[in-house]
Amino acid sequence: MKTLFSAFVDEARLAFSDLGILIIMVLAVVVYAFVYPVPYLNQVLRNVPVAVVDQDRSSLSRRLIRMADAHEAVRVAGEPDSAAESERLVRSGAVAGVIVVPRGFERDILEGRQARLSAQIDTSYLLTYSAALTGMLESAGTMSAGVEVSRWRARGMSQEAALRARRPVGLDLRPLFNATSGYATYVVPAVLLLILQQTLLIGIGMAGGARRERASTRSAAPIDAGGHPIAQVLGRSIPYLLLYAVNAVYYFAFIPRYYGYHVPGVASAVALLTVPFLLATVFLGLALRVLFSRRETAMQVLLFTSLPLVFLGGFAWPVEAVPVWLHRAAELVPTTAAIPAFLRVTRMGAGLADVSREAGLLWALVALYFPAACLTESINQRRSRHAPRATLGVYPSN
Amino acid sequence: MNATRRRTGFFAVAIREWRRIVRSPFQVMMLLGLPLLGGWLIVSVFGSGAARDLPIAVVDHDASPLSRDFVRMIDSTGGVRVSSIGADLDAAERLVLRGEVYGVVSIPPHFERDAARGEAPVVTTFYNAQYVLPASQIKNALSSATATLSARIEFRQRGAARELPQVAAARVEPIALDVHALFNPSLNYVTYLVSALLPTLLQIFIATVTVHAYAGELRDATAGEWFATAGGRSLPAIAGKAVPYAVHFTALGLLMLAVLYGRLGVPFQGSFAAVGWATALFVLAYVAMGFAFAAAAGELGFGTSLAAFYCAPAFAFAGVTFPVEGMPLVGQAWGSLLPVTHYLRILVQQGMRGAPIEASWHAVAALAVFCAAPWPFLAWRMARLARATRETHG
Repeated sequence: MKTLFSAFVDEARLAFSDLGILIIMVLAVVVYAFVYPVPYLNQVLRNVPVAVVDQDRSSLSRRLIRMADAHEAVRVAGEPDSAAESERLVRSGAVAGVIVVPRGFERDILEGRQARLSAQIDTSYLLTYSAALTGMLESAGTMSAGVEVSRWRARGMSQEAALRARRPVGLDLRPLFNATSGYATYVVPAVLLLILQQTLLIGIGMAGGARRERASTRSAAPIDAGGHPIAQVLGRSIPYLLLYAVNAVYYFAFIPRYYGYHVPGVASAVALLTVPFLLATVFLGLALRVLFSRRETAMQVLLFTSLPLVFLGGFAWPVEAVPVWLHRAAELVPTTAAIPAFLRVTRMGAGLADVSREAGLLWALVALYFPAACLTESINQRRSRHAPRATLGVYPSN
Repeated sequence: MNATRRRTGFFAVAIREWRRIVRSPFQVMMLLGLPLLGGWLIVSVFGSGAARDLPIAVVDHDASPLSRDFVRMIDSTGGVRVSSIGADLDAAERLVLRGEVYGVVSIPPHFERDAARGEAPVVTTFYNAQYVLPASQIKNALSSATATLSARIEFRQRGAARELPQVAAARVEPIALDVHALFNPSLNYVTYLVSALLPTLLQIFIATVTVHAYAGELRDATAGEWFATAGGRSLPAIAGKAVPYAVHFTALGLLMLAVLYGRLGVPFQGSFAAVGWATALFVLAYVAMGFAFAAAAGELGFGTSLAAFYCAPAFAFAGVTFPVEGMPLVGQAWGSLLPVTHYLRILVQQGMRGAPIEASWHAVAALAVFCAAPWPFLAWRMARLARATRETHG
């Protein structure tokens, strides 16, 4: 009990008197919640520039151009005269695509033949491509439907019957949960979990490195080389659990309201998921300290891991497409189970029963990383008992 | 007067730096081990090439030959896989909440009868819009399956009315749009992500390693020796230190391009020379920025934090997942302050599109500015550092 308390005090002093650690565990947590969503704040892409090569110059071709321009996804940014000119526009990136209206377009329609438009769309940016494609398909489709319906009506059919005859089977597409299909509400909730995890792992690693640097100098404290590992790990985890309980409230209660994606009535399920998520992450952080002999090593080594981890969380890239072995390995990292579970609870209103598998996984990680953290503690204690006492500045560089 | 006097200057600093790297297992891991591990992980995540056969549920209230035909059509689109067929909508929605399916297709009662009578039955599809990529695949799969089924029914009805196929086609769709996808016709999502993720990964390592190279000398109190090796001059001290990292990371960058265009089959229409030189500029830009962070912080830990803050969120701002044109002005401004944004633009323009060189001069100029701009600052900090070391040692 005495070890637990002095380990708690020592860890709190190590972490919270270190400006570098505070920057990561407090400032970065606060600021990143505003920085990461910035690119996506406009939510959807509008008015992608496209060009139209009008070889028909008829009233119907001009109507098509007006319809495309009026579509919210695209705008007609140019009407080049030749195919060569339009190719130059696409290659240089001035427009995302070109529609070619061939000569005879109006005549074909009036004479009841199928009129064929051709479109070339730049695929080098996927969202731009799909916006241009949607705009072009829907403009052509709307005009096509108008032509067909007016033909049916010319035969004396009612508007409604004409619409039915056009489409023997209808399709009603209804979005669930993210009705506006916004990009920010898609990215932000998942990335927040990753920020919590990565700042915890890096901050704990830095404090661990700092402790080992201290242990190898004359200013070593008795707490570095003794005390029961279990009491040490429990005591040292408390400062981080307290700080991140506050951070979690900020991320799961304040930020969703700020960005307007808050769903009421999920607080208890979120809290019940947050407990194993934070415990697993803190114990993983304490276990990883076996690797870091220096204060800054944790940051250098762990920084890159967030890139693959984003795509292993199942929101940006479907789990079904990740190789099974890699997904299993990634489940050793808390965010892999936590991201889908938190998304379903906070964005879709799933209950705890619906995320029981993920919650079980997170508790399994707690059970795995607590003994691992104790092992790290006893290894590091042994190291510092045998460490040569050096003065600052002359130990071997890494 | 001393016959064994060590050589000094630019080359001496470069050789000294090279020795420091190979003697330190940590540096070898940061320069080679972890970048390769990270790259391998990213390539492996997208190893399957495309997201296919995403699970959806079907609630078939009709259970007729036509509805079963329709389910087979949905399944055969390739993008989705019907993993559960039932008659209970609530049970299917539970599957969505449990994360087992990405959407639910509901086929109404009397589907076959209504279709035959021309009463246009409507298939309702609920898709989980929280998952952007699966959502668009479900929409595409269902649009194409209903279009196929509609066309088949309509053709059958017209066929009965003895209409010629071409005439029928003109009636079904009076205006058709033939879409040609340029540059990346397979529309492989993996291509986009991996060819942006690998450079983003590389910039993280270049910046953290160069911060360490510079500020590590301050931590270990070896700056005096470093400066002496440079013959007491600032520019050779920095330039000599930069060389091993510039060479090493340019080589890694070229390996990355070989993996992208060779192994992963990212479409390439442009000039290898242009893309190769851009890679060297990209590396030099981050070497200069890494030194600048170290010089500005004057301390390894804080310098690493600065570099981390600069490099870690870069992927979101680089304009790949969400195009720069769609970002708010602040996002565009921050993105343009990251060399990786300009480098990725050059890769797209000169690699994928085969654009004329003039189209990229903006991006090339921006990279050149990042390479050059930190040097006056670095030289100034170096001169101050030299004075400080002389005062403490002299």
